[in-house]
Amino acid sequence: MADFRTSSQRERWIFQPHDLTERWAAANQRAAETLAQYGTTRLKVGSLDGSVHSPDHVEGSSDVKPLSYEEEQLTRVFYEQKIQEVCAAFKFPHKIQATAIIYFKRFYLQWSVMEHHPKHIMLTCVYTSCKVEENHVSAEELGKGIQQDHQIILNNEIILLKTLDFDLIVYAPYRSIEGFVDDLEGFCREDNSALQRLKELHQTAISYADKMMLTDAPLLYTPGQLALAALHKSNDTLKVFNFERYLETIFSRQHSDCPVEHFVQSINAIHYLVDQLKIPTVKDMRHVDRKLKHCWDRSSHDEHKKKEKKSKHKSKRTSTDAQLNG
Amino acid sequence: MGDGRAGGANRPAWLQQYELVGKIGEGTYGLVFLARLKPAHPAPGRRGPPIAIKKFKQSKEGDGVSPTAIREIMLLREINHENVVKLVNVHINHADMSLYLAFDYAEHDLYEIIRHHREKLNAPINPYTVKSLLWQLLNGLNYLHSNWIIHRDLKPSNILVMGEGEEHGIIKIADFGLARIYQAPLKALCDNGVVVTIWYRAPELLLGAKHYTSAVDMWAVGCIFAELLTLKPLFQGVEAKNTPNPFQLDQLDKIFKVLGHPTVEKWPTLANLPWWQNDQQHIQGHKYENPGLHNIVHLPQKSPAFDLLSKMLEYDPRKRITAAQALEHEYFRMDPLPGRNALLPSQPGEKIVQYPVRPVDTTTDFEGTTSLQPTQAPSGNAAQGQSVSRSMPRQMPQQPMVGMPRVAAGTNMAAFNAASQAGIAGLNPGNIPMQRGAGGQSHPHQLRRKADQGMMQNPGYPQQKRRF
Ligand SMILES: Nc1ncnc2c1ncn2[C@@H]1O[C@H](COP(=O)(O)OP(=O)(O)O)[C@@H](O)[C@H]1O
Ligand SMILES: [Mg+2]
Repeated sequence: MADFRTSSQRERWIFQPHDLTERWAAANQRAAETLAQYGTTRLKVGSLDGSVHSPDHVEGSSDVKPLSYEEEQLTRVFYEQKIQEVCAAFKFPHKIQATAIIYFKRFYLQWSVMEHHPKHIMLTCVYTSCKVEENHVSAEELGKGIQQDHQIILNNEIILLKTLDFDLIVYAPYRSIEGFVDDLEGFCREDNSALQRLKELHQTAISYADKMMLTDAPLLYTPGQLALAALHKSNDTLKVFNFERYLETIFSRQHSDCPVEHFVQSINAIHYLVDQLKIPTVKDMRHVDRKLKHCWDRSSHDEHKKKEKKSKHKSKRTSTDAQLNG
Repeated sequence: MGDGRAGGANRPAWLQQYELVGKIGEGTYGLVFLARLKPAHPAPGRRGPPIAIKKFKQSKEGDGVSPTAIREIMLLREINHENVVKLVNVHINHADMSLYLAFDYAEHDLYEIIRHHREKLNAPINPYTVKSLLWQLLNGLNYLHSNWIIHRDLKPSNILVMGEGEEHGIIKIADFGLARIYQAPLKALCDNGVVVTIWYRAPELLLGAKHYTSAVDMWAVGCIFAELLTLKPLFQGVEAKNTPNPFQLDQLDKIFKVLGHPTVEKWPTLANLPWWQNDQQHIQGHKYENPGLHNIVHLPQKSPAFDLLSKMLEYDPRKRITAAQALEHEYFRMDPLPGRNALLPSQPGEKIVQYPVRPVDTTTDFEGTTSLQPTQAPSGNAAQGQSVSRSMPRQMPQQPMVGMPRVAAGTNMAAFNAASQAGIAGLNPGNIPMQRGAGGQSHPHQLRRKADQGMMQNPGYPQQKRRF
């Protein structure tokens, strides 16, 4: 909805910091327990209703090490940044990557990366984001463009939609930034040199917002707060206008009962999150990747067993009943 | 929302919470079923509430969940209003990736109500009912427009009316398959091969306007208002289908005949509309001198009802009345006042009109395949003397949609969107109503909303003397 105030995002997807840590910890613990018990985090999916079952028991399964809470966090950032790469490679409109990243973040509030492979979910997020943002790309096209099996995307589409609870309209800071820059034209009316540099200000703010998207900020703050933080940072570098005065102007205009200080606080908190951001390199990821692989590899030995089972049911089902983790 | 876990032998668990009654509709994107939620404590004679379940077929083979279904669900997840249909659940059939949307069931719709008066009763709909239906339709639409949603497919069959019960006689706007949020880029409509009837299509679209604005919905409301009064579609043009995106000459001609010829003086942007500009079919040369709308709707030209109708059928989308303005119109302040139950008799003691219940085809199962024998005894519908599978659900005339060129970047629309979205709303952590950002005025048909009015709030029925 073009109105954030009544949106599902405001109602259901803006959290307090401790909500986030609790959810991540819970998902991590659940996956670790499954891993300890079964030696794999692969889930079985009921063929008729898509219900999720625990994996088949595997003996002697305790040697596989789960990802730690921190490693999961690292993994998520890595793949969120991959989303930006993929979207840039496809030259998608900017909104697509933002929507996809927000989907990705919401998804992993409920699942561990050990339960659903982030590479698959990342692609599915991009695919779904394209559908929602009216920039439809077929799964095949998307898969081809990045040399991935597009069936992976289709296999994960439903679990993604379900995890998102079908709340698909999301707000990113970019449009708000645009709105503020528009508004700043009025604010800087008298100042010609400022007017001329608004474009530059806008660009820098967008780049800063791109970084913000990789932090927890989009799950904690409203798009308006994120946008103001981006403009604040951008203005810090470029010194185009008087930020404090502008902030006061909007607040007086909106007869808001929420104090300006509150905003200054959240802007600072957002800056802090961005400063803390560490984007892992492929090398950083190697160790995590290996662990992640182990989470699934265990079950590969019973692959042929599964095939056997499957052929018995062939008459009933087609190929989509594979595991969600594919 | 979402589904339960593992279920029984061979049916998804979610299906088992329903008792399927049969098929009630068949549209562009799939089938609509009537089902009943099984009561938590079954007892003889106890029936759960009726639910309409809309099944979306998979889009193209091998491309996942239908984008139309996604669009409809994502909009419905954001909205909540008495006059908008309520999405109660979403179910997934994993076997074929189809989605099932479960709605509160509405026994009637404007298409059937109008038809009943025209074909069975041979009598007009009483003025209280017409006014209440129109008021509620506008109330729902005002809510949608305030939330920056354009419906784009308003027509009698998409406007549902609740049957007996708690919400008797309340309008529910349905079918959001074509609806768009302003924020989303409006892409070429021919892209998704969309099919809708041209009878309710606004003249600016017929002339090739590139943007949908909320004014297109108001035109449709005007057409529906007239149809409620006369029981006949107001502009029943014959559709041109020769090319993918044909010029609908007959539809425009029907409009011109009734409303008179549009002029650039009264509608300045007319000159920029593609089909008017190139005028290959010489529409500019058509001359109809004596507009006769009042004769068609049998309203005195000075009456408030006529005044409101002509403001909805204003050629220039910028001058066309908005839903918010229409709700304030004098027509709604005069006797009979509109009420919450539109289907009450107009005078105390007058007989209530018995509208027929929806025909149900009980030979169809949830997959849409027809079984030879009805799977269960006919439901309450039969008990009320309706033959059960007598008539197949109707289908509205379906015509290809005008293909719309892409919205060029940097148009009014883009600027408007940016401003409306201007973090100004997003920045507000409390639900504090705020003034829209600058730039909104640049849009040809800006949605008006009082800054001091919370958006979820109903404007309220016009006067204290309400019917409930
Ligand atoms: N909630 C409902 N209650 C009763 N009937 C409904 C409901 N929703 C849809 N229908 C019936 O099904 C028809 C088609 O549904 P609709 O949502 O308009 O889909 P389509 O996009 O196929 O037109 C409607 O015209 C109406 O007759
Ligand atoms: Mg319909």
